[in-house]
Amino acid sequence: MLALVIERLAVSFAGLSSPVLAIDHLTIAAGERIAITGGSGSGKSTFINIATGLEKATSGKVFWNGADIANLSESRRDRWRAEHVGLVMQDFHLFPGLSAVENVLLPARLARVADAALVARAHELLKIVGLSRPEQKIETMSRGEMQRVAIARALLRKPGVLVADEPTASLDADAGENVGRLLIDMADEAGSTLIVVSHDHRLIGRLDRRITLAAGRIAADSAVEGVAA
Amino acid sequence: MIRFILADLRRLWAGAVVVVLLVALAVALGVTVTLQERALRLGSARAADKFDLVIGAAGSETQLVLSSIFLQPSPLPLMSGEVLAKLSKDKRVTWVAPVGFGDSFAGYPLVGTTRALISSTVSGFSEGRMFDKEGEAVVGAAVKLPVGAEIKPMHGTAQIGGETHAGVVYHVAGRLQPTGTPWDRAILVPIQAVWHVHGLGHKEHDQEESGHTASTPAVVPAPLPAGHYHGDGHDHGPSPLLGNREVHTADNGHGHAHEASGSAPDAAHAAEDHDEHDHHGSIDADAAIDEDFTATAPGLPAVLVKPKTIADAYKLRQEYRSGNTLAVFPGEVLTNLYATMGDAKLVLSAVAAGSQGLVAAALVLVTVTHIGQRRRQIGALRAFGAPRLSVFAIVWLELFLLVAIGIGLGFLIGLVAAQMIAEVFTTQSGIVLPVGFAREDIRSALLLLGASAMLASVPALLAYRQSPAAALRA
Ligand SMILES: Nc1ncnc2c1ncn2[C@@H]1O[C@H](COP(=O)(O)OP(=O)(O)OP(=O)(O)O)[C@@H](O)[C@H]1O
Ligand SMILES: [Mg+2]
Repeated sequence: MLALVIERLAVSFAGLSSPVLAIDHLTIAAGERIAITGGSGSGKSTFINIATGLEKATSGKVFWNGADIANLSESRRDRWRAEHVGLVMQDFHLFPGLSAVENVLLPARLARVADAALVARAHELLKIVGLSRPEQKIETMSRGEMQRVAIARALLRKPGVLVADEPTASLDADAGENVGRLLIDMADEAGSTLIVVSHDHRLIGRLDRRITLAAGRIAADSAVEGVAA
Repeated sequence: MIRFILADLRRLWAGAVVVVLLVALAVALGVTVTLQERALRLGSARAADKFDLVIGAAGSETQLVLSSIFLQPSPLPLMSGEVLAKLSKDKRVTWVAPVGFGDSFAGYPLVGTTRALISSTVSGFSEGRMFDKEGEAVVGAAVKLPVGAEIKPMHGTAQIGGETHAGVVYHVAGRLQPTGTPWDRAILVPIQAVWHVHGLGHKEHDQEESGHTASTPAVVPAPLPAGHYHGDGHDHGPSPLLGNREVHTADNGHGHAHEASGSAPDAAHAAEDHDEHDHHGSIDADAAIDEDFTATAPGLPAVLVKPKTIADAYKLRQEYRSGNTLAVFPGEVLTNLYATMGDAKLVLSAVAAGSQGLVAAALVLVTVTHIGQRRRQIGALRAFGAPRLSVFAIVWLELFLLVAIGIGLGFLIGLVAAQMIAEVFTTQSGIVLPVGFAREDIRSALLLLGASAMLASVPALLAYRQSPAAALRA
């Protein structure tokens, strides 16, 4: 379980006058379940990329359980992410030609950490997300099934934080509902902090806290409002 | 990782096959050139190494070797028969044998020579025996004629429209074991028979044929005038012995062609009286073979000499290199020839290398584009926890695997192609070409593999350096 503290963060890109993301201070407690919302271009994906170490901050600090990942080299950040972060994206990023279980295991295998226990866990996770055929080729699956495979993959190494960027946006209402519930249940079960970017009100409603971004800044935070109120 | 690569290749199998074939063909081109050139060099050297010294009339060294050892039909100038007699008595000579050509049968060249030459250059008979009489012949291993078969020699070769010598028939007495040289495709007959067929006097026949000789243009006066080039400048048959006769038919019996070359015009004029058909002489099939040559032996295109020692060989070559004769070590002439061949090989190798370079450039282009298309996939791999190095390894291995398979296949195709070319060459020339890989081929294979390893690292490095976040946005 991981806690996040962000201090004086700024992310700018060359050619843009104002930073894409600017957060003075933000704290997310371990095990919290956060929804991040905001209009298109408000900086949600950028926030996710910074928090997971996919992108490097221009300035500022990003502490996970006290360790600043903004300082790490690219390879170290990769390794840190592999160990601590489970990612689920809008486009599932599964690999055609491989089966469901091979997809779940692929990153672990490439990192040479896939032992028998992890293989067993992969099969079990697929069962939990409701897929009975682990050897089914990924390209023959429905979109809802694919996203469930992606969730199983994200949870394989029991990450301290589960991060999802619009996980239900490309699914129909039923499949979206299903996937949303799975995410929350499984983060609970694994004891992971959960950060979900979403426009899906039913999903947002189920989460503890809602942070709204606008033009790269925190426009509203339900926790802060709660305290203020 | 391997499974991931294989899954990826299976998905893109058509492109993968094209890449492999492209590489294979470019590599095969280079391999074929190398193997073929080496085989030609080894094969011709082997064909030549039974003959230490070749002596002929002054002229082209290359032509002398090509005609006498590789049995290429082409007119050679003749030298005096005296040379043969002198060499026969020379203490420094183990054996000396005249060769006479110009006739053919069923596409095989007829070579007149001696028993000494045959028994000292061929390991033995696979069937039958040596010729004993003037009307007998011995065939090379690749000649498809059974023992006992009749041979009716034709003047020149069938391609250039030669005519059959009327009334001349040899019988095959034996078949030689293979030598891997053009002599495997030759029909060997007593030199004396060749002379007689063409109406050339020899010893006891001198008297009986002397009148005939005088009136026959085909007869080469022996000894010939110095520097006489038989058939030089005339577009006639390939027979050095029969150059005159060809002129005679071509010029319809007018001898002026010969005046230019300084040959006896009388003989040419006499041609008008001569019978118009092909018959100049005939053989006495049962006559014994006389291989004791005297100075009255007819003019010869070449004699093959086996000197006793290397020192003797050099001395003999020195002695017979002046004046009217030319003495060469076939190996030396071949070396010069290889130098020319080397230039041709250089050009072909450059072409092959160029095509390999083009394929390499095309591959870099294709894979860099491919990496562009796979940006998202590669970004995702890293986002989900694959180490950077394994992303590099995947991209590198995938391309290297294809290129390596292509190189392996290319070597195989090159070998098969070279073997096929060598087979065609062998059936046409009799020269066995030893096609095979040598140590230097391993080096060039390693060089190619090394180059493709570097090549594959270009897109791999690109994938390695790519930021996963940027890739996922794309
Ligand atoms: N590499 C980059 N170079 C320049 N600008 C960038 C880059 N990455 C992001 N941006 C800009 O940053 C802003 C925030 O982008 P981001 O992807 O975080 O938005 P978002 O909130 O996820 O939007 P959406 O809801 O459409 O996914 C956008 O205006 C985008 O154009
Ligand atoms: Mg986004």
